[in-house]
Amino acid sequence: MHVFGICDRGADRDAVERVCDRLVDRLEREGRVGVVRYDATIADGTAVHDSTTVGGDVSYELGADGDWAASGTGLGVGDALDRLAADCAYAVVVGVEELRHPTVVVGTDDADEEGVVAAVEQSDDLDPDAIAAELESREPHETLHSLVDRVKRSPTADQAGAIATFTGRVRAKDDADDARTQYLEFEKYEGVADERMAALETDLEARDGVLEVELYHRTGVVEDGEDIVFVVVLAGHREEAFRTVEDGINRLKDEVPLFKKEVTVEDEFWVHEQS
Amino acid sequence: MATEWKLFADLAERAGDKHVTVDADAGDTVGDALEQLVAGRPDLEARVLEDGDLRSQINVLRNGTNVLVEEEGLETVLEEGDELALFPPVSGG
Repeated sequence: MHVFGICDRGADRDAVERVCDRLVDRLEREGRVGVVRYDATIADGTAVHDSTTVGGDVSYELGADGDWAASGTGLGVGDALDRLAADCAYAVVVGVEELRHPTVVVGTDDADEEGVVAAVEQSDDLDPDAIAAELESREPHETLHSLVDRVKRSPTADQAGAIATFTGRVRAKDDADDARTQYLEFEKYEGVADERMAALETDLEARDGVLEVELYHRTGVVEDGEDIVFVVVLAGHREEAFRTVEDGINRLKDEVPLFKKEVTVEDEFWVHEQS
Repeated sequence: MATEWKLFADLAERAGDKHVTVDADAGDTVGDALEQLVAGRPDLEARVLEDGDLRSQINVLRNGTNVLVEEEGLETVLEEGDELALFPPVSGG
């Protein structure tokens, strides 16, 4: 799933909405689009819509044709994106400053801000095709769930009796006395890393009984407790699924040009220099 | 035509840049390009070379291919528009 933000830079609310509508219309040609609206003024008892959360922390209202509405408590923007990633091709986040995703700003022609892919005064100034192409070139947002769902949709899934997965995450401490790791920062050899990952997937998929392999590795800053890397294997039986997951993560760590800097509360270092 | 080096992790920090263009050209060797890269960058030189040889942990790629494993090492001859990369052991995951 590709994610981008829309932020207001002095436009009126309607202008922001028209920009959102126009981009959603364009992206819906490519796949399912999710929209996340953030509004800091929504707090206990001041929801913009009448809350359906009565007698429970999460409520769904379902219709006969699959239409639904939901409300609830305890969901952050990142959580919402993780949920959308399961079945959306795109997600639009409206109203979040300093999003880590590319952002369209409305109400200015100043596109120099970091992370800004387009700056428009109004929706007529948009070039939706250019923005769609730009998003396509960026790293997608994936979760373990989105990768598992993808392999389940494989045409070969009829022959699959097993899905095995590996999740690598940021370990705050090697032992209890360790200085806490705040975040890791991954640098990638653009192009070559992706080629190596794709070649590794193809190689593993050529094994007997292995049907689909998905490898995904985040880059940039990954914070303490967050997931870094996923290996998902769809296979006929559990034995080859387990073996392929293990070989997949081992080979990814050995062969793909990615470089990890560790930042702890006390220090900052490239991980290969420590061993 | 010049040749471009891409540097990663601490090697980029030691070189002061992630991209360095050198004069080595088609017909010259990877070793020539490396010599030009480390010239005037003693910190980088000490990190990647030991008695004039490449340290064992350092990787050199030409257009994504490891020249030490699949080509003629530092003797590999450059072609027009090659992209060279220099990096320490990979550390993904």
